[in-house]
Amino acid sequence: MTTDVKIKAPKRKKNASLDKRKARAGWIFVMPFVLGFILVYLPVVYDSIRYSFYTIKVLAGGGFELIPAGWNNYHEALFVNPDFVETLVTGIWDMILDIPMILIFSLFMAVLLNQKMAGRAVFRAILFIPVILSTGIMESIESQNVLSDYMEDASGIEDGSGQSTASEIVSAMDVEQMFQGMAVGQGLVDYVVVAINNIYDIVNRSGVQMLIFLAGLQSISPAIYESVQIDGATSWETFWKITFPMISPMILVNAVYTVIDSFTTDSNVVMKFISNTYQEANGNVLSSAMAWMYFLIVLAIIAVVAGVCSAFVFYQRRD
Amino acid sequence: MNAQNIEKKPTVRKESKNKIKVDFDRSPLKERLKAKFLSLFFLKKVIWYIIRLVLLIGISYIVLFPFFTKIAGSFMAPEDFVDVTVRLIPKHFSLDMYKAIWTEQNYLQAFTNTLFLSVSTALIQTFVCCFVAYGLAKFKFKGNKFVFLAVIFSLVIPHQTLQLSLFMNFRYFDILGIFGFLDGGGIKIPFTDITLLEGVVDIIPEIEAFEKWTAQGLTLTNTYWPLIIMSICGLAFKNGLYIFMLRQFFRGVPDELEESAYIDGSGTIHTFLTIILPLSVPMMITVFLFAFSWQWTDDFYTGLFFTTTKTVLMPKIVGIPTSLTNDYAGQNLYYSAIRNTCGIMIIAPLIVMYLFCQKYLVQGIERSGLTAD
Repeated sequence: MTTDVKIKAPKRKKNASLDKRKARAGWIFVMPFVLGFILVYLPVVYDSIRYSFYTIKVLAGGGFELIPAGWNNYHEALFVNPDFVETLVTGIWDMILDIPMILIFSLFMAVLLNQKMAGRAVFRAILFIPVILSTGIMESIESQNVLSDYMEDASGIEDGSGQSTASEIVSAMDVEQMFQGMAVGQGLVDYVVVAINNIYDIVNRSGVQMLIFLAGLQSISPAIYESVQIDGATSWETFWKITFPMISPMILVNAVYTVIDSFTTDSNVVMKFISNTYQEANGNVLSSAMAWMYFLIVLAIIAVVAGVCSAFVFYQRRD
Repeated sequence: MNAQNIEKKPTVRKESKNKIKVDFDRSPLKERLKAKFLSLFFLKKVIWYIIRLVLLIGISYIVLFPFFTKIAGSFMAPEDFVDVTVRLIPKHFSLDMYKAIWTEQNYLQAFTNTLFLSVSTALIQTFVCCFVAYGLAKFKFKGNKFVFLAVIFSLVIPHQTLQLSLFMNFRYFDILGIFGFLDGGGIKIPFTDITLLEGVVDIIPEIEAFEKWTAQGLTLTNTYWPLIIMSICGLAFKNGLYIFMLRQFFRGVPDELEESAYIDGSGTIHTFLTIILPLSVPMMITVFLFAFSWQWTDDFYTGLFFTTTKTVLMPKIVGIPTSLTNDYAGQNLYYSAIRNTCGIMIIAPLIVMYLFCQKYLVQGIERSGLTAD
């Protein structure tokens, strides 16, 4: 009897359907992440939410004690802390302004770098340098770098005028003159001026986006371009009628990625503010409460961006 | 080619059995050059070429200029910073900054520590992300979508939000209360025995931390374990992005490849290791490059988990060496230059690596066939 059972058990295993076996294999592959997510990540997230409703008292023996505080942390962040709401508003406004700049710039650069030309590999290598090198500690070194401004400033700091205008690449006046004939509002002019003066920042932050766009451009079949060329389309038409629709799913991905990226970097004003609060507070969990509020707002922004973009996204799916 | 030789009709000559040669009427060279170079089309092409070149050179300049200033500043002596005539080229060439940082900021120790940390976490992350991404891309099982959503979820929540609880969880590390339970029962967990890890004690200076038991669990802060554990679980910095990239890549790999391996009797994991992984080397190098360099320059996690000054990591060497402290008019610029020099010394190994790997970076991304569905 016992031997009979022993034989049967592996047999049934062998006879499991292919789908079932594949499903099992799938679980084995994702197991490290699933285990980590459930055992490490979810407790961390849960604790973070929980802490935001507590105050923490570190005990002398090496432990800690949680004192329930209700909505106090949130109340303090929103109504007592003088700077948080203001920082939050400026941070989010900056982010909303940055998204189109980064998207347009990275798409433009990706289209440029996708064209065949001499030295393409060199330009690509140079433009992807910031992805690798301008993160983490380099970012914080860069943020307090006065040397670069000094060297860039051709007229010198001690030229008597006391101010260095040369460090700005273009002044608002130039752009305004350029736009004078066109009936565009002052807002757009300011936007372009800000974009051009922040070009270094934008280049630094659009590395991954460029890579994603480049990958998207590569996946467009050359046959489509050939056929429109035969039909006599200009490059302008080709871009708007072929490239843009075909790349639109990438625009969605990049828009979401840009939002995530720009609100998780250290250079983000709100994140800086929250880190400072974290370092200052002694057992005060204000920073957690602030971070969660900020996160919820950003989540809402991501939802809006994804919603708006996905209305315009074109999927080339025939299967 | 000469104009005299041209006949009015195209001549057809038979060269061999199934090969003929046709001489066509050709217009003179001058005409041809005119048609080629004096057309509007050519003009447009040239103008576009120049505009493109200027744009790309300009943007490359913007990217590279900060590095030039950093390098230039790093060779300057203190008196150069008060001299208005000195801009990019140092007048009094000196290597003091490099020397001071090398000796006083424990550069070598920071280098080996960070190298060990970055290589180990980046390798683990690359392989774990490959595993998870392959599982998500090629297997249909119940909950596949949920796992993928969880991946995106872990990417979207900024780790700054979790700062405090990350620290707390690894300071008092415990999974489901198991360690606390075992400890309470007087059972010693084998891997906390430091003799097992004697060989690596030199590399992991704070391995004794395992012995520090608290009522709440293991103390893992000030060791490499928090980052390694997070890497094993695919939860470290931007791992969601790697999983997403690799998943898109694996979806582009034709199913027939694996199916033929299965028919030949190869198991799923064996197929993955011997057929899929070798295919995805450029993509893996890309992920490794990201993981390595982002860990190398990371100051958030190292600042969070390494609270003492015992383990020197790269971000900690940024500072003013005591022998270089001084008080004069150019102090601000000088200190800024010192910090920049620290930055150069931090990224120097990365630059060397990038020079070798950048071709895979673009290749890996290009072949990924990234699509957004």
